[in-house]
Amino acid sequence: MKLTRIRIEQFRQFRAPLEIRDLASGLNLFTGPNEAGKSTVVAAIRAAFFERHRSGTVDHLRPWSDPAAAPTVELDFELGGQPCRLAKTFLAKKRCTLQIGREALDGEEAENRLAELLGFQHAGRGASKAEHWGIPGLLWIEQGTGHELREAVAHATDHLRSALDASLGEVAASGGDELLATVEARRNELLTEAGRRARGVYKEALEREAALAAELADLDETIARYRQRVDALAALRREHAADEAEQPWQDFRAREREAAERLDAVRGLETALAAERQRAEQVGRRTALLRDQLAAAEREELARAGRAAAEEEARRLLAATAEPAAQWQARLGEAERALEAARAVLSRARRHDARTRLAREAEESVRLRDAAAARLKEAETAQASLLDLQRQAAASAIPPSELKELREQARDLAEVEIRRSAAATRIRYALQAGASLRLDGEMLAGEGERELPAAAALELPGLGRLEIVPGGRDLAELDARARDLADRQAALLARLGLASPEAAEARVLDHARQQNLLVGAQATLKALALQGVDALRAEQAVLAAQADTATQALAELPAAEEGAERPPTVGQAEAAERAAAESLAAIQADLQQARLNEAGARSRLEAAVREHAAARASCEAPERAGRLAAARSELTDTRAEEATLAARMGDLQQQIAAARPDILQQDVARYRASADELEKRYRSRRDELMRLEVELQTEGAQGQDERRAELARDHAQARRRAAELSRRAQALDLLLTLLRDKRRALTRRLQAPLQKHLNRYLQLLFPQASLEIDEDLAPGPLTRGAESGDFDALSFGAREQMGVIARLAYADLLAEAGRPTLIILDDALVHSDAERLAQMKRVLFDAATRHQILLFTCHPADWRDLGVAARSLEALRAG
Amino acid sequence: MPRFLHTADWQIGKLFGQFDADEAALLAEERFAAVERLAQLAAVHGVDAVLVAGDVFDAQTVAERSIHRLFHAMSGFSGRWLLLPGNHDAALAESVWTRAARLNAIPPEVTVCLRPEPVLLEAAGTAVLPAPLTQRNTHADLTDWFAAAATPPGFVRIGLAHGSVQGILAEDIDSPNPIAAGCAESARLDYLALGDWHGTRQIDARTWYAGTPETDRFRANDSGQALLVDIAAPGALPAVTTVATGRYRWRELAAELQVGSDLDLLAERLAAFGPADVLRLEVAGRCDLAGHRRLEEAIAQARGRARSLAADLSALLLTPTAEDIEALAVDGYLGEVVAELQAAQQAADPDAAQTARDALVLLAGLLDARGPVAGGRP
Repeated sequence: MKLTRIRIEQFRQFRAPLEIRDLASGLNLFTGPNEAGKSTVVAAIRAAFFERHRSGTVDHLRPWSDPAAAPTVELDFELGGQPCRLAKTFLAKKRCTLQIGREALDGEEAENRLAELLGFQHAGRGASKAEHWGIPGLLWIEQGTGHELREAVAHATDHLRSALDASLGEVAASGGDELLATVEARRNELLTEAGRRARGVYKEALEREAALAAELADLDETIARYRQRVDALAALRREHAADEAEQPWQDFRAREREAAERLDAVRGLETALAAERQRAEQVGRRTALLRDQLAAAEREELARAGRAAAEEEARRLLAATAEPAAQWQARLGEAERALEAARAVLSRARRHDARTRLAREAEESVRLRDAAAARLKEAETAQASLLDLQRQAAASAIPPSELKELREQARDLAEVEIRRSAAATRIRYALQAGASLRLDGEMLAGEGERELPAAAALELPGLGRLEIVPGGRDLAELDARARDLADRQAALLARLGLASPEAAEARVLDHARQQNLLVGAQATLKALALQGVDALRAEQAVLAAQADTATQALAELPAAEEGAERPPTVGQAEAAERAAAESLAAIQADLQQARLNEAGARSRLEAAVREHAAARASCEAPERAGRLAAARSELTDTRAEEATLAARMGDLQQQIAAARPDILQQDVARYRASADELEKRYRSRRDELMRLEVELQTEGAQGQDERRAELARDHAQARRRAAELSRRAQALDLLLTLLRDKRRALTRRLQAPLQKHLNRYLQLLFPQASLEIDEDLAPGPLTRGAESGDFDALSFGAREQMGVIARLAYADLLAEAGRPTLIILDDALVHSDAERLAQMKRVLFDAATRHQILLFTCHPADWRDLGVAARSLEALRAG
Repeated sequence: MPRFLHTADWQIGKLFGQFDADEAALLAEERFAAVERLAQLAAVHGVDAVLVAGDVFDAQTVAERSIHRLFHAMSGFSGRWLLLPGNHDAALAESVWTRAARLNAIPPEVTVCLRPEPVLLEAAGTAVLPAPLTQRNTHADLTDWFAAAATPPGFVRIGLAHGSVQGILAEDIDSPNPIAAGCAESARLDYLALGDWHGTRQIDARTWYAGTPETDRFRANDSGQALLVDIAAPGALPAVTTVATGRYRWRELAAELQVGSDLDLLAERLAAFGPADVLRLEVAGRCDLAGHRRLEEAIAQARGRARSLAADLSALLLTPTAEDIEALAVDGYLGEVVAELQAAQQAADPDAAQTARDALVLLAGLLDARGPVAGGRP
């Protein structure tokens, strides 16, 4: 397709007609600033193709405030080698004519033919929208939409496909996609998209089948159990019938009875044995009694003999004990006398000892009294000298405050004297030998110095007199102060009775010395009388009294025994007395013991005499002999009976042991238990039978076999349904997989030529890059070297560039399929940098060799090197 | 002259799981109807007794309703009925028979032969020697006692047993419930009435299987009948006549499609079936999509007429022709899919082949359903 002429009238800003003639078959460049009408020209071309001339929604085509306008677009073009003219007028005069070669078409027919030829649709109602634009929508890039490719491609896909089909000579399967969608929908009713797991009715069918199978298995188990129990019932009945016929427990009952009878017989023997045993015990006891009686008689005889011997012995003992007692009595007198003598000696020794001690005490107290008197005298002397010292010290003391005042006065006086001296006028003199001066009458010679505290007269011999008056202002004041101080000092000294301050200091020293003496005197006194002189005096009085008492006591004692030998010491006398007393006591004790022995022997003798008499009396009783004879005879009888009884008992025991009563007892229990057990088993079997019968009848009434048949039927049906659905699901899955595979393979074949065209341009823009194309023929990821990115992720400028080259590739594709191509770029590539723009110009120039391209721009300078003359819209408007 | 109606294998309570629910219900129902027909026949022919040689019930614990219904169905004949427990309804300690007795369902004219002891039919001068099964299966010959059994002189001796006659049925060698061949002869029986074999079958001059009165399986030749037995006198050979009692004809149909006319023939045969037919159809061979469509139509129509029709087309290979493809307007990659599926039908794995075939049928169905492609190619 090639546009040759465009004429626009009463169309938006072109109220006056605008005509563009002689359009080139390749590139056509239109320039103009903003508002010059570039976009209006594009809009006019679009309206001429896309909008129905009868459309009521194209008011925007009308020039502003011109309600009566009839926007008109006339296009001359070549299509399939035939010259064509399309004339379309909107709104006020709705008209459409199309001339194709010699064929003239009018109105809607013309519009439909145009749509079919160019590959777009008209809107059903209202204004035409992007989804209707098809191929032109893709190839005519509106201002600012160059980068928006995917949507435009989507709207053109069907047209592109059919174009590709034509060029490949293949078919994409009529309605294949609808079929695929149907198959997919039906498959997805039965299987999950991803996992091929059952869903929907298929899943329900599988679950029902499984549930029924489980139920069937349960029921089978129940039935199997039921059958086993029916068999068990038959077995029980057989056993029960056998038991009823035989009654095996009866035999055991009979045996039990037999054993019990034998056991009873043994019990009789045991009773007899017990009776014999009791009799034997009685006889045994009688025998023992008789033996005891005889033994007692013998013991009485023996006892009488023993008593006689004992009496004899007691008599002998009494005689032996009487002798020592007499001897001890004689010794007792001697011992009493010895003790008396010892006691007299002790008394004399004690008296002598007391006198000696009292004489020594009196002597001592006299010595103490005299010593105390001497010490008292010494202390009284020391006290007198201390009082004297105290008096002297009090007289020499100067009160400290007055001493301090005196010392301060002396210091102040000295200070005033120094200040007077400092303020005084000094005269130094060095007189020639033999020369002299007179100062206030004093003669000065040689060298020296004088201070003049007051005015003085210096007589210079032979020269007259110099009156020297000291210049210091303070001198008079110092004089006055010195005088005052001297007065006060004199008054204080007078009060203290001192001649001078030096005398005061001398007295202070004197007082200190007296104090030292006083301390010494006090210490002396304290050493002599610690508690004081009065205490010492009282002590001396006490000691004197004691000495008097002691002396008097000694005088009152009886006079010492003259001429007697000196007695032993008290200790010796006491020891002798103690020995004598002990000797006496020992003799008394021995005497006592001898007397006791004698008394004991006497009483034993008396007892022995009595016992002997009693024993003799007993043995000599008159009836005793008869009784003993009877006992002896009876003993013989009982012994014989014992022997008989022992033999009988032995016999009985032997019989009992042979019968084994313990085993018999066990037999009875065993037979009884066996019979009981058999009968119990019989009864429990009868109960079991009844129970089983009732259970089986109840269960049988539930019709389980028939229920099982029903279940089996339902299960078979469910299984069939599941199998059918499984087959259907697998078939649909297979079909879907196949359809998808084939469709994908076909799409790949269709993509190849587009890829070829795209790569041609892409290499100009991005060498070594490749762009993939997806199933919908839209550009996919762009790969440059190692990096790969989605188309939508590219920069705005790059997307615009890719948009343009993709469209050029589509155009190539369409051209190959013999489809009309016209490319319109309205202010495209404004976001490209100079380098990319240069590449894009090469691309466009290349494309223009195959397609007509209308390029509108407001940047004429950018496109100067495109190799075609730019046509200014303003110039065109001017005509 | 004693006359008996010999029947067996009623299998009351049997359900037919291999069929759809409604069909199964009708087939189960028909077993009661068959008993009603037997009762009617017995009445019409004035038989002395109806001898039922085992498997009256299909299972021991059938529903109570089924028990009552059975005995009710027998009420059309007021003469003697002798029922023999078979392997399905053996006289166990607790069995369908003890239940029936407890339910008071058994009318007085019906004798259930629970014990191996002669039953005397005085009026008919006949002694019946039953061999009831008292276990589900036994490997002893329960008819052993027949030979030694004494019967009143001048009485006809008839044996009643359920099991497999040894040496006759190849597949029943070592089968349970054996019956010695030549039992009738050795036990001096005038007639031995047998059950267990569902088709009618004569074993020897005096020994017959009656077969089931209503067919219940596809492989049961000569079923759906009963035997009318006339015995002129003790020792005389019995005169045995078959009488039809069955309603449904169970048919197995196998067809191999190789050429177009094979399908025509099959369609004709299918068209001939009516409401008494229970069919199983297996089709093998090959056909094109159009043929397949015709086959399916024919099957659908036959299904409408017959009582039941189960069709197995898994062995049939679909070979779409160029005309098929044209008719379905298959082009582009759809054509490739069709070709691939066609090839996949011959896969070694039978499941995969089946799936491919199903997919092809589905695809054809979908394509067929969409009709001619609207607008065609631009």
